[in-house]
Amino acid sequence: MRFDLITENEHLWAVKYEDSLDNVLDTILGQWNDVSWLRSFFKQNSADLASYFKITDVNKAIYDTIEDSERLQCLIMDISPDANLDEIFRPLDNSRTAEMILGKEKARLRNTPHHASWLRIYAIKLDPGIYVITGGAIKLTRTMQEREHTLVELARMEKVRRFMLDNNIADMDSFKDYLTEID
Amino acid sequence: MKTEKEILSGLKKHGSPTPSKWRENAEWRMANKSWLRYSQRIAMMMLDKMEEMGLTQKVVAQRMGCSQQYISRVLKGTENLSIETISKIEDALGLQILEPAYAR
Repeated sequence: MRFDLITENEHLWAVKYEDSLDNVLDTILGQWNDVSWLRSFFKQNSADLASYFKITDVNKAIYDTIEDSERLQCLIMDISPDANLDEIFRPLDNSRTAEMILGKEKARLRNTPHHASWLRIYAIKLDPGIYVITGGAIKLTRTMQEREHTLVELARMEKVRRFMLDNNIADMDSFKDYLTEID
Repeated sequence: MKTEKEILSGLKKHGSPTPSKWRENAEWRMANKSWLRYSQRIAMMMLDKMEEMGLTQKVVAQRMGCSQQYISRVLKGTENLSIETISKIEDALGLQILEPAYAR
């Protein structure tokens, strides 16, 4: 497991998993712009699309995903050095109010023009305003536990969190120590 | 005790041996957005028709005289298609992609 710098100010990072060609941010943005991949996904999850979002046209789902993906992509590309990422990421568990070490977080678009966005980016919070992206998903159901592809994202978040704890990473300082020590 | 410069250098070195192309890819999608939308729409039309006709990528590739790998890329909606290729797609799948524009 490696970590790629996403923003020059070192506030946003993304995991590069061993079996991937690039980091996970590049992978999910690629999938969310791949018509063939999206069609296959929405065909497999057509029942959720219809019951939760009242959408039966797969091509509309593909189109909306590409549009939302572009908005998310712009949001990340336009992060300024003094931007507060705590305004983009929220605790994964909506009921969590207290801070926790290496908290599990999510980012989603707000105020999308059509329906609530189903795109999610998942991350581990190293410190206030500093995040490591672990993955992303098209979340069509109320909870992540309901579907295999969102369960995979929960497992990935736990795997990255466990990796960090095993390597004595608990905040940005210890993360930097880890990165410099292994070089 | 390492200096800030050494730490930063270490952090950058830690990046993957092959630097991430995420920003390059994202900028490419933004810069080519207008024709990508057409390419994506054509991919959707092709996939609809292929499903209706029960055709595989291999069969479509044979009908168009190109490789299956190329068809796979076309179906992602990321290929900048020539008019010649669009015409071949129309013939292979019985689709009308350019006809409405021509008819105007």
